[in-house]
Amino acid sequence: MLTPGIDRRYFILGLVLALLMTIGAPACSSGGAPSQQTPGGETELQGRIKVSGAWALYPMMVRWAEEFQKIHPQVRLDISAGGAGKGMADALAGLVDIGMVSREVRPEEIEQGAYFVPVAKDAVFPTMNESNPAWEVLGEQGIQRQTFVDLWINGNTLTWGEIVGTDSNDVVNVYTRSDACGAAETWAKYLGGAQEDLAGIGVYGDPGLAEAVKTDSLGMGYNNLNYAYDATTGLLVVGLRVIPIDVNEDGEVGPDEDLSTKTRAIEAIVSGIYPSPPARDLYLVTQGGFQGLAQEFIRWILTEGQQYTEEVGYISLTDAQVREALGRIGN
Amino acid sequence: MRWRRIKDSLATRSMYLAVALANSIALVVGLGLFVKARPILATTSVSQLLFSSSWHPLKGEFGFYPFIIGTLAVTAIAMILAVPVCLLSAIYLSEYAHRRVRELLRPVIDLLAGIPSVIYGFWGVIVIVPLVRATGRAFGSPTTGYSLLAGGIILAIMVLPIIISVSTEVLQTVPIEAREASLALGATRWETVKHVVIRSALRGILASIVLGFARAFGETMAVLMVVGNVPKVPTSLFDPAYPLPALIANNYGEMMSIPLYDSALMLAALILLLVVAGFNLLAHFTLLRIERR
Amino acid sequence: MRARRLEEAVFKGLMVISLGLVLAVLAAIVVVVVARGASALSLSMLIETPKGGYYLGKEGGIANAIVGSLYLAFGASALSLLLSLPTAFALQKEYTGRRVASITRLSLDALWGTPSIVYGAFGFIIMRYLGIGTSLLGGILALSLLMLPIMTRAMEEAIRMVPLELKEISYSMGATRIETTLAVVLRQALPGIITALVLAFGRGIGDAASILFTAGYTDHIPRSLLDPTASLPLAIFFQLGTPFPEVQRRAYASALILLVIVLLASLAARLLSRRFSKHIVR
Repeated sequence: MLTPGIDRRYFILGLVLALLMTIGAPACSSGGAPSQQTPGGETELQGRIKVSGAWALYPMMVRWAEEFQKIHPQVRLDISAGGAGKGMADALAGLVDIGMVSREVRPEEIEQGAYFVPVAKDAVFPTMNESNPAWEVLGEQGIQRQTFVDLWINGNTLTWGEIVGTDSNDVVNVYTRSDACGAAETWAKYLGGAQEDLAGIGVYGDPGLAEAVKTDSLGMGYNNLNYAYDATTGLLVVGLRVIPIDVNEDGEVGPDEDLSTKTRAIEAIVSGIYPSPPARDLYLVTQGGFQGLAQEFIRWILTEGQQYTEEVGYISLTDAQVREALGRIGN
Repeated sequence: MRWRRIKDSLATRSMYLAVALANSIALVVGLGLFVKARPILATTSVSQLLFSSSWHPLKGEFGFYPFIIGTLAVTAIAMILAVPVCLLSAIYLSEYAHRRVRELLRPVIDLLAGIPSVIYGFWGVIVIVPLVRATGRAFGSPTTGYSLLAGGIILAIMVLPIIISVSTEVLQTVPIEAREASLALGATRWETVKHVVIRSALRGILASIVLGFARAFGETMAVLMVVGNVPKVPTSLFDPAYPLPALIANNYGEMMSIPLYDSALMLAALILLLVVAGFNLLAHFTLLRIERR
Repeated sequence: MRARRLEEAVFKGLMVISLGLVLAVLAAIVVVVVARGASALSLSMLIETPKGGYYLGKEGGIANAIVGSLYLAFGASALSLLLSLPTAFALQKEYTGRRVASITRLSLDALWGTPSIVYGAFGFIIMRYLGIGTSLLGGILALSLLMLPIMTRAMEEAIRMVPLELKEISYSMGATRIETTLAVVLRQALPGIITALVLAFGRGIGDAASILFTAGYTDHIPRSLLDPTASLPLAIFFQLGTPFPEVQRRAYASALILLVIVLLASLAARLLSRRFSKHIVR
């Protein structure tokens, strides 16, 4: 007679235990939310807000969440990135309360009930490698929009020599974003197309694109404000140079077209000299309309939240924009 | 006795339930994808979807040809690079290496399997892409390094642990008597391996290769970071390519916003599913023939 | 005779080169991860959840991701095991006929080849249909879909390798099918089954695509199955995606942590496997 060994019983016991633990554990463990001191002490607000979407807004949203949770410790904010498209998709599907979107909202999305407000501004900048000898000329002259159109929309193979007027035969290696994202959409809009019209090697993610241009001396790409400039120093990220756009097409980079530091870049955006696009509004989206806790949060973002934008590296909305936005969320 | 019979039939019934469920999953996923892919199948002909190279979703053009070719090419390169290396390593580990060495190296190789694909991707960007760029330039091709070859290399590396560990496991289970018999007849170790061990473990080894292939086919994140993502059919190893999983991962977020895009991406997924199923059918029948021998 | 010896030497050389190549690649990857991540590794990374400015370079840790990943991987492994083991057993000749077995194997193989992102997308559809948001549950479901075919296939291979004679002896002594399966087959195939489990666990814990759209993300540790959860692959992804080098280094530290978890798991599996190997008939 075969006697099943003790091992088998332990095995099954182990399985059952593992199952119980996995089902029971989440219910038993305590949350990990840090407890913070409450200045003021008004804590009537409680609940959970789920946010997802654009990488471009992620650092800002995280900061806003931190400050908001200081004032309202009973509120729990869950934030995930994943791209502007994901934010829109999640918001429209009702999987999250707020979606972060770094591009213009499309008519099809509005049809599906997308309701949005701007909350901050940033911009996309064209970039090149810092050890590219062409910088000597480009730093003074800048590049005009048409050249960018030739490279990215028409897909022409140009050499660096053709761009700066030297006899260099090195081909410009054009890069773009492979993931559907606000940055690409915005850059494409500036050049008169959509993301799918952009030529170039597709690299995933903002830091990916920056890395590609940093390691390719003949590369040209584009990046968000936060990825082109170092957040702590305000200078250009090591390895990259932002290509100044010769907006007035006078053949040289004027002081207001200068993009050599973050401060200058922000000035150019605020003054309107830097075109919009590629400067852009960043939006928060919901399905239907902003309600309850989400509404409170956004209202706070549009009012007190605006003071944190510069610190994190964004541009705050104008007073007019804030008033309009507050009106939209039903103040 | 009766209680034992009842236990047996209860156990068997629950096993049948498990099998039914396991089978239904494939069906449900396949059906789900098909249902979501229907809209685009209704508006565009299958031949255009499969063989057109024009990809402009905003204009409603969905030609999958470059992606299909990209997927097949990058997987083929990965398998060509991986299979010989894996088999040789597995044979060494199983037949020649000291037991201690084997025991030591097994968790080490499993470690490779545990590395998240995001890290492979980043490592690929830092190490493999410049390598391919340098190699390509040496061959006269002005490549950026983000290419079919880079994708193939990364995939090959990702597939290594699976094929090696399963193959080694399989080789280990060949009964020691078979080896002893061969050696007793005067064969060298290598001849024993060639004629006896591999033959009896062939089925398992081929299964491990199929496992590796499927893994290579479906790997998404690491490949898309190094492969270039240009929707054109690659004409050389150093050209960028755009495999189907990368297409889905890159554009998943925009699915809801452009008409028919979600349907197109679901179709891409369905194509992947069907190709893998087709390959498995092929492997299945060749394996069957080997088994009969 | 000399030609035969030569052939052996040549192949042996190739084998050593191959294995060397594999190990060299592994070393290269680990070296890069360690070089970039070791400096950022600290105790607080392990036990603290991220405070607000974490992704901007400030304090906190990734306890949320570590715990989240463990919940996800264990949950999904358990769920898959529940279905895989009976299925793998059932594929033996004494339970199912050739036709059913072939069809099952085929459909599992088809699932195996599906990119994990498809499970993520499929999960997204199902979750929307059921009205559940991004959550631990969603992640477990998508992940177990990913793990199921891996587990079943590998387990089935292990079970197949059990010599027929052992089973025949058991039956000839009057044992029922389930008794034979549990006492003989399970015991004999246990090392292989454990390998299968670890293989699937390792695959699952490192996968980003399937949980990106289903598990969500949060800076807190999930308190229920319906809470969104962080996970190590996504934590790595997000940290790599910031423009701050300190945070990027933390991403490599997170990858180190993930590697350690996988290593521990596989070591545990080896130990268990060795322990149960005592009962194997060779």
